[in-house]
Amino acid sequence: MAIAALPPPATQTGVGAWLRKHFFSTWYDAILSLIFLALIFWVVSGIWTWGLRDAIWTVENRDACGHGVGACWAVIQDRHRLILFGLYPYEEHWRSTLACLAVIATMILSCVPLFWTVWRLPILWIVGFGTFVLLMRGGFAGLPLVTTEQWGGLSLTIFIFSAVFVLGMPLAVILAFARRSSLPVIARVTGIFIDVFRSLPLLTILFAAAVVVPLVLPDWLQGDKLGRVIIGFSLFFAAYQAEIIRAGLQSIPDGQVEAAVSLNMPFWSQVVDIQLPQAFRNTLPSTINQAVITFKETSIVTIIGFFEVMASGNAVVGTGEWGQQYVEVYLFLAFIYFIFVFGLSRYGAWLETRMRLGHG
Amino acid sequence: MAEHAISFGKLNKYYGDHHALRDVSLDVEYGETLVVCGPSGSGKSTLIRCVNGLETYAGGTLSVLGHTVGDDERELEAVRKRVGMVFQNFNLFPHLTIVENCVLPQIRGIGRPRAEATEVAMAQLDRMQVGEHAQKFPDQISGGQQQRVALARSLSLNPDIMLFDEPTSALDPEMIAEVLDVMQELTRGNMTIICVTHEMGFARAVADKVILMADGAIVEQGDPEQMFTAPKHPITQEFMKAVKS
Repeated sequence: MAIAALPPPATQTGVGAWLRKHFFSTWYDAILSLIFLALIFWVVSGIWTWGLRDAIWTVENRDACGHGVGACWAVIQDRHRLILFGLYPYEEHWRSTLACLAVIATMILSCVPLFWTVWRLPILWIVGFGTFVLLMRGGFAGLPLVTTEQWGGLSLTIFIFSAVFVLGMPLAVILAFARRSSLPVIARVTGIFIDVFRSLPLLTILFAAAVVVPLVLPDWLQGDKLGRVIIGFSLFFAAYQAEIIRAGLQSIPDGQVEAAVSLNMPFWSQVVDIQLPQAFRNTLPSTINQAVITFKETSIVTIIGFFEVMASGNAVVGTGEWGQQYVEVYLFLAFIYFIFVFGLSRYGAWLETRMRLGHG
Repeated sequence: MAEHAISFGKLNKYYGDHHALRDVSLDVEYGETLVVCGPSGSGKSTLIRCVNGLETYAGGTLSVLGHTVGDDERELEAVRKRVGMVFQNFNLFPHLTIVENCVLPQIRGIGRPRAEATEVAMAQLDRMQVGEHAQKFPDQISGGQQQRVALARSLSLNPDIMLFDEPTSALDPEMIAEVLDVMQELTRGNMTIICVTHEMGFARAVADKVILMADGAIVEQGDPEQMFTAPKHPITQEFMKAVKS
């Protein structure tokens, strides 16, 4: 006769056992757990009462703001358009919204492996960025012209970030390969270029692009101030990213290229099919890191007179009317940054899992 | 058609001060299986890596299937289209599936359409008895299976010449036989094969000719029977004694 296995002792399973094991296994564990529990409770209840329960949500009740009650979210209701669109003409905000969505859609689609071919990605970007620029700029089909000086807010932030990424990444790949070139002249010149751009502060580069370049270049070569700033920013990004890619290339064993050569795969295919996918996979965490840093650094363009989302937020607080509500405004800005940066991080994590799966 | 499949004429090669190949002259005939042996550092790998231009050489001549292997990129390409190579470390592409490892080089290397390339790849994978793993990634299969995939990948390009650079040296002992078996089958066809190996039993069974290299030079060559049972040169005698014990 078979004897049924006994269930495990109750003291070793269930919620109680789990709690005991992870939080109360020793007396100092227990004390620490209780302290942190109190701390968490204090923070969460604080956020709840200040940010939600006692908060003032609408402009009609704004008189109550600043009298020791909760957060005054009325400022966001009143001024969200300034934060999101900057100085863009009020009646044309729908264009800015659509343009912003076009770029976000382009970014999201770029993240889908289906689009990772030599043709699809460039076409996607040309369409996405073309739509953005056409919609933002207007000046055709009855849409009033809005020059780049008036672009602003979140759409400008997203545009600068994605344009820097899209221009800087191919440049970084070229620089990385050039620095590994067997021709010493190319390798040295690229090395100097990268080192110079890495040693200069971003602010200096952006100032030079906005202010110094117009003094040096003839009018027809100057282009638009925003364009110059994006190019300067892209060069800065490319210098850093090139070193990340170079590290990725160095981590690929020589045998990979030798195999590709012996299989008569042409040079471009060795690069596109064999080296780059492995280099990017090997350096994914650093690449995501660089993207996050770049997204946050876009706020620096404020200093040369562009009204991106951070500057727009400052402008809201800068007026006497809402001057007291800076905490709420900065929290809102932080929330916007958080959504994008957190999205980037999660995407990076998803890619890593996917690649590890692909790698067995 | 050139007189010999491969013809080395007084080939020399240096790595800095190290003289890696010294006046190597050798003809390999069509359909011949040549086994290259010798102690490590003797220039065996360097010699066969010259054949498809993975290594350059400093002096002498090298002609493969009538093409001159040298600086001319077009000649090199013509050679690489017809010369396959299998490496000690397999060198499969880790980010591609087994079948894609075999398909992509056909598309990029000889411009074969994908559908046909997939068919060829599957046929070669089946021939190497790894067809069932087609959708896996290289590090999901054993070393012996990986090396057979590498073979299938090379064979998918229908080469006339195969180069084997110590194909079983990185394998666990129990997997050596499965790779040697499929290689032995290849030697029965009319492919020209150069194989660098330490597997003397295999060499004896399949070789039409054996050469022994030491210090970058060919010290003795002959048919396998003579080389293994009655070597003339003292270095060969010593080497054969060492690998037998």
